[in-house]
Amino acid sequence: MNLRLKQDRRGVSNIIVVVLSLVIVVAIIANIVLWGYEMNQLDWEKMKEDIIITNVERGTEINGTSFTFKNEGALTSHLVSLWIINSTNHQRYDINVFVNSAETITYLRADISLPDDQYTVKVVTERGNIAVCSG
Amino acid sequence: MVIAVAAMSIAITATYVITDNLHDTMGERFIVEDVWFTTGKISIYLRNVGKVSLKIVAVYVDHTPRSLTPLRLEENKHGWLNVTYSWSPNSVYHINIVTIRGTKVVDYYESPS
Repeated sequence: MNLRLKQDRRGVSNIIVVVLSLVIVVAIIANIVLWGYEMNQLDWEKMKEDIIITNVERGTEINGTSFTFKNEGALTSHLVSLWIINSTNHQRYDINVFVNSAETITYLRADISLPDDQYTVKVVTERGNIAVCSG
Repeated sequence: MVIAVAAMSIAITATYVITDNLHDTMGERFIVEDVWFTTGKISIYLRNVGKVSLKIVAVYVDHTPRSLTPLRLEENKHGWLNVTYSWSPNSVYHINIVTIRGTKVVDYYESPS
């Protein structure tokens, strides 16, 4: 009788171990599936972003340069990098500009002067898209 | 009982190890902001736009590995990656940038005249 009870308890313990372990394994796999969903969302947002540089001009009232950005995408864009590139220099500037969907904004920078020769202006978004304009 | 615990511990550890690596690989994203051809080297400006830190360990120019200083970028960080290479003017180069987890960004870049 005692032997049978011991065997029964051992059987229940095994089942508890297996069930708990399966719960942990399922939780780990679920975490990966959710992470995949999050990364897909990130890629989808990147594809939906559409920022363009509509105008770049030397400041008239102040020294510096004004840049006009237009957001043609469905999501707000966060602009984080601005590049002024010519044949001799590739200069990068940190920027922190938000452009709402369908909005056009003018961004003035007194510390940026455009090169006299041919140049390229590049703006980079936080999601990793790049808009380019030549002048 | 002991065998069941041991077997399930191995199963949990294996699942964790495999999925942890997969998790990091899935979260890796980076972009090339700029490529600058200067004397004897190609400088590539990279930005980490993913959800995990990354380490650039290899750059292939025209399918040939080139020497570089490995670059580690935390989330949302950016920096120059310098690749030693004697490039020729007005040439198109196939540049492949590879992380330690195997994520890569590949594109063609034309050197200036």
